[in-house]
Amino acid sequence: MRRLSWFIFLVYAIGFSQNKQVLYDFTGLPQTLLLNPGAEVDNKFHFGMPMFSQISAQGGFTGFSAYDIFADNGIDINDKIKAAVNNYGTAEFILFNQQLEVFNGGFRLPNKDYLSFGYYEEVDFLGKIPRDVVDLYYDGNTVIDRRYSIKKLAARAEMLGVLHLGLSKKFNEKWNFGVRAKIYSSVFNANTKSNSGSFYTEEGTQNIYRQHLDNVNLLMQTSGVFFRNGEEIDASYVKSKLLFGGNLGLGIDLGFTHHYSKQWTITGSILDLGFVNNSKNTESFLYKGDYELEGAQLNFDRNNPQNYWSDLKEDFDNSILSDTLYKSFISFRPVKLNGSASYSFGQKQDDCRYLIDDGFYLNKIGFHLFSTVGAVHSYMAATFFYERRFSKHFQTKLTYTVDPFSFANIGLGLSANIGVVNLYFAADNLLSLNNIYNAKSASFQLGINFIFKDKN
Amino acid sequence: MAVSYFMKITKLTAAAFLILFFQGCTKDVDFNQLDDANIHATYISTLIYLNLAAPDFLDDFNREIAVTEDLVQAPINNDSKPYLEKVEFTVITENTFSRNFRLSITFYDAFGTPIYVLQPMINVPENSSELTTIIEIPKQDIPYIYNTKFFGFAIFMSPSIDGSAISINDASTFDLKSSAKLFFNFRKI
Repeated sequence: MRRLSWFIFLVYAIGFSQNKQVLYDFTGLPQTLLLNPGAEVDNKFHFGMPMFSQISAQGGFTGFSAYDIFADNGIDINDKIKAAVNNYGTAEFILFNQQLEVFNGGFRLPNKDYLSFGYYEEVDFLGKIPRDVVDLYYDGNTVIDRRYSIKKLAARAEMLGVLHLGLSKKFNEKWNFGVRAKIYSSVFNANTKSNSGSFYTEEGTQNIYRQHLDNVNLLMQTSGVFFRNGEEIDASYVKSKLLFGGNLGLGIDLGFTHHYSKQWTITGSILDLGFVNNSKNTESFLYKGDYELEGAQLNFDRNNPQNYWSDLKEDFDNSILSDTLYKSFISFRPVKLNGSASYSFGQKQDDCRYLIDDGFYLNKIGFHLFSTVGAVHSYMAATFFYERRFSKHFQTKLTYTVDPFSFANIGLGLSANIGVVNLYFAADNLLSLNNIYNAKSASFQLGINFIFKDKN
Repeated sequence: MAVSYFMKITKLTAAAFLILFFQGCTKDVDFNQLDDANIHATYISTLIYLNLAAPDFLDDFNREIAVTEDLVQAPINNDSKPYLEKVEFTVITENTFSRNFRLSITFYDAFGTPIYVLQPMINVPENSSELTTIIEIPKQDIPYIYNTKFFGFAIFMSPSIDGSAISINDASTFDLKSSAKLFFNFRKI
């Protein structure tokens, strides 16, 4: 029970976000370059505190919260489970994403472009569970002619190391473009998508019922999960795979910042446009075919006794192709899209109401759209934000996000500069802070950077 | 003006967050409730069927066989053992023979020893149209299922009252259809 509590706590409370809506375009933090390589930073150079410049992950489940099931409110847990099942959508998804920035740095080139680089480790899991599967588990299959489909059943899981190098280039006063190249080194990958097939029972003719597996097409691809050469999984194995001993891949991030007018700014980015070539320790499982069963017809033939079970098994094996494949496969990274429009206002004035800095605005409001697009699952999130610069040393950002987990996700970001030391903290789903068990997801990011600004 | 307005908003927001932070971070939850969770699921499965004709009750010399038997291997693994609470068999029979039949289903272990007989036996009267019999394996007898390696089916044919014998040309049939309903309780073990 304690372990379960810890798991729920980890998933719901110490989650970080793949959609980093608070961090996106936040006060020129170096980490914004990872969310938009075309973001503007006014640093001379920076480096992150090794292992602490950004720790990031996200946990969430769109179906129901821990509080929905475990609330100590006098309602029988079985009634709460029933209510959760009744409210379950056509398909709900569970995700976990974690990133750990090992190192991160950047500096301004003589031509004023900003070059940034780093290495981070990422674990990503997403599972999509269709309602039909839940109903089959929760109720059974007693509804005749009801088709239990696995069409929406999909999952992906991977762990990889990412080495990246990016360039943010200011073309003119209005446009800033950026690009980031990435080398992926995958420790493991498992994915299943584009599945089809259904199971149903109908009234039979020879027997009471006839049961069907209809149009089954299920493929699960794995690499680094099953081992044929006796490799042992330990810390040094994971380390070697993270450091380019794993299945390798390439990716690219693109982004821009456009100052539509002095106060209006539009940004956009596309991240992880890339793939991993899975060629080591690959093992994939394929199931395909149709099968129907009305039962075993006993013939009571003393002269020709039959092994009914092996006959049924043989018929099943002939009908549903089951194959294990060892060939390489390409896995695509889930692509992340960001776009925002913001309006800055409120210039800083001295006591005599003279402008102190013509290009420095204290407030920014805007709208941010995030989308992740993948073969397994795609979803969108929309965020309204208000950013407030109290000074050049302390900035805040307040966000309101609508995503598949919540229609009322409030986030807060804080960034403080003490000399060259920058500390930042961002968290969302703050309305759930008074009851973390009721959160369907949560996230926060924090880190320490050393930022050296241009004197001019 | 706008600055002071947003300053107010910021202060109010900060105050709201302070209240949230100090309100406490959880409401009462009780994970021990999991011990009381019961998920009752029922699965139906098609089983065996028979379409027996006169030759099936006659030997090579066309003499009646009083008992006709067959065996089916039982592909049962123990995964579901902690959760299976009841099994209900539905058997539908139809008999156009002028004979009574009794069907017995016996469970055998790996050594061929009979360990359980489904009760009651299924009686099929002569010239009977569709009859449905439901047989239940109660909770206390479930462990027998998991020790079963073979199901034995035996059909006992009663002798005719007038002493007549079944002819190989008799067009009568003995039909049987069956299904099982498995009642699971997926609870914490």
